[in-house]
Amino acid sequence: MLFNSLEFLLFLPLVVALYFTLPVKWRWLLLLVASYFFYMSWKAEYAILILFTTLVDYSVAIKIGNELSKRKKKNWLLLSILVNLGMLAGFKYLNFFSESANALLQASNSGYAFPLYQILLPVGISFFIFQSLSYTIDVYRGIRKPEKHFGKFALYVSFFPQLVAGPIERSTSLLPQINNPRAFSEQNLICGLKLMLWGFFKKLVIADRLGMFVGLIYENPAEYNGIPVILATLLFAIQLYCDFSGYTDIARGSARILGYELMINFNRPLIATSLRDFWNRWHISLTTWFRDYLLYSLPYIKDKKIVQAKIYRNLVITFLLMGLWHGAAWTFVLFGLFHGIMLVIETITEKPVAGFYQRMGINKFPVLKKTIGIIYMISLVVFSLFLFRANNLSDSMLLLSNAFDFSNTAEAMKAILKNLEVVFGIMMIVILLWAEHFHAKHNLVRTIASKPMIIRWTAYIGFIFFVLLFGVLHQEKFIYFQF
Amino acid sequence: MTNKTAKRFILFAALLVAVNFVLDQSFKAFSVHNILNRKMDEQFAAYNDTLKYLALGNSHNCINTHILEKSFNYGSPSENYIQSYYKLKHIIEKSGKKPEYVILQADISTYGPKIADRYEYNSYWIDYIDYRELAKVKSDRNILTKWLEGRFFSYAGNYKDVQLSILYRIKMKTLEMHNGYRPHRDYKNFADEPNKRKLAWDKANLFLSKDAYFDPSIKVYFEKILQLCQANDVKVIMVRYPMTREFHEEEIKIVPEEKLFAEIEAITSRYSVFMGMLNYHDIFFDHPEYFFDPDHLNVKGSDLFTMQFAKDMEKMESGMLAE
Repeated sequence: MLFNSLEFLLFLPLVVALYFTLPVKWRWLLLLVASYFFYMSWKAEYAILILFTTLVDYSVAIKIGNELSKRKKKNWLLLSILVNLGMLAGFKYLNFFSESANALLQASNSGYAFPLYQILLPVGISFFIFQSLSYTIDVYRGIRKPEKHFGKFALYVSFFPQLVAGPIERSTSLLPQINNPRAFSEQNLICGLKLMLWGFFKKLVIADRLGMFVGLIYENPAEYNGIPVILATLLFAIQLYCDFSGYTDIARGSARILGYELMINFNRPLIATSLRDFWNRWHISLTTWFRDYLLYSLPYIKDKKIVQAKIYRNLVITFLLMGLWHGAAWTFVLFGLFHGIMLVIETITEKPVAGFYQRMGINKFPVLKKTIGIIYMISLVVFSLFLFRANNLSDSMLLLSNAFDFSNTAEAMKAILKNLEVVFGIMMIVILLWAEHFHAKHNLVRTIASKPMIIRWTAYIGFIFFVLLFGVLHQEKFIYFQF
Repeated sequence: MTNKTAKRFILFAALLVAVNFVLDQSFKAFSVHNILNRKMDEQFAAYNDTLKYLALGNSHNCINTHILEKSFNYGSPSENYIQSYYKLKHIIEKSGKKPEYVILQADISTYGPKIADRYEYNSYWIDYIDYRELAKVKSDRNILTKWLEGRFFSYAGNYKDVQLSILYRIKMKTLEMHNGYRPHRDYKNFADEPNKRKLAWDKANLFLSKDAYFDPSIKVYFEKILQLCQANDVKVIMVRYPMTREFHEEEIKIVPEEKLFAEIEAITSRYSVFMGMLNYHDIFFDHPEYFFDPDHLNVKGSDLFTMQFAKDMEKMESGMLAE
């Protein structure tokens, strides 16, 4: 069930109405049933996967909680990690590993080949597995006690607003909310609806519109060169942001209506001034997950021997795995590797660059310094997206080489300016950036809310119909569903 | 929720409904495609002559009804076999005007998924299409949103139609139409285009898909059209309309032409009402001046094509046409 589908527009009000009609003690059950129904509307059988993860992590956490021996606690945790990552490997990476191994075997003239399987990737598997896994690790680390109520834990793993594309919630934040559900609040309802509307604007008006142009270029890599390729990749960065953060807004809005507060997943990443800053603002629930559960678990912290080289190594490993988390393809592995290496270079060159800024007097012009930072960040991110968006490695290499062929620039520019979807899309991006900037400085929502009713309602109604008229209503899937 | 808040919510919802109603009605009255399609309906309702030829299809269908006697061109923008079926069903079952021949479009682009998934102008099609049946055939419940769109939200997502309607009102002052035929666009000529190949590539990739050339739902509705004609003893002629050489060359890079038409032949061979396929796709390969763009004839091209088609129909009826 897509957020931008008729089914969801019927499903959500029904769930909300029933939720607040039921006695408080049964509300978790309704949400659990609704969440499984939501997930099963894609492929009913795959609900077994969520149930299995839930059963394993629920039991393991109880065992860890009851166990006194640290070694045994660790064994139980290892079991949870093995089961969860094993499931992820089986459903998401098995064919990737087999194909890669087969390529190596073929190169060495071995007659053997690993079999390939027809496996349909379960929607959102990387999200719910990471969410569930974080819970057992938290219990192991003593950050929280095991949840005794199986149904409520099952709801934590499957909570429908964030089930298929996050934010990846921590048990320390979501489980207490499930245990103490809030009463209906007009404030939550209004805030939730506003968040959802903003998410629909980002998804339908910007992301899906830009997607048409980006798709045309990336599905036909041999046909385009120069400006269209660079522009398509730049627009893809914004498409990806609007698609994913739009989804997150709708997810957070839906949850807010029900009285649940989900974590902020994006903090204006398009104005980040370095790659590190970018990752602090982009898909925050994933980056903090990798930071807390992988990067900090890698050897150097444990040994307390903080050797710079090991920090860099760990950073590269973390980003390589984060790339792989996005998809089972070498393009994603290289995407992660590129970001890891660039972050290391950025860290190493931080002081010399700061000195250079000082010598050149750039520090006296904060706007210029910020602009240089944004251009630097966007250049790196856009460069890496050649890997992220392309269908395969050879396509991304072809597009990269074509990007620097400016042989027909004038003609290409004319064609782009004639493409009303692109022109309109760019106008909408300007509105988005202005709105985000204004919101950060003056709180746009509160500013509108403080206006007289007639202005406020005109703004809301105007915006609703603007999204309806100018939205691309083909029910395009959210990009992050595939991860 | 306090009473005051509840009242505000109700008032806000009522305002939304009212604005929606105004936008919906305005769009229905303003949309150029709606106006064209409704005018065609009116002309068909007023058509009193013997209906020998009924031409269906999309903008490729350029049969000039001034030239082909006793004909009605009921082709409409972006029409696919799904829409053609429901329109034909309506004509045969409800209008009481049964044609002797139905002329079906059979271009390569007629059969692909990109055409099958184009559901535009639902505020017009809602009078014809059984969306529930269509949703079942396509196993896609979201088709039902198209019914909602057609009934209550005709403007939703149709910003392009608004833009076209404004341009139409600026550029074209009159709506010339004869038995459904509207002279084809003529304000530019494909022969003058500096980069014909690129235009052809763009157009071919817009409508054709590398993954599939014969959409399952199009197959279902193609058979439904033939079954409907068979049951009502209406003869079927299929026509491949003229295309530019560049467009055809780009088409066959994407779609396996022989395979596609072999599959079509396997279907048509089962129906005795099928009279044959007339293939004109290459007759103007050396005449780009007859085209408005890579895949649409201009007025002169349409006239020449229709004259040829009329002659061929005469020959066919007299049993002289070999194919």
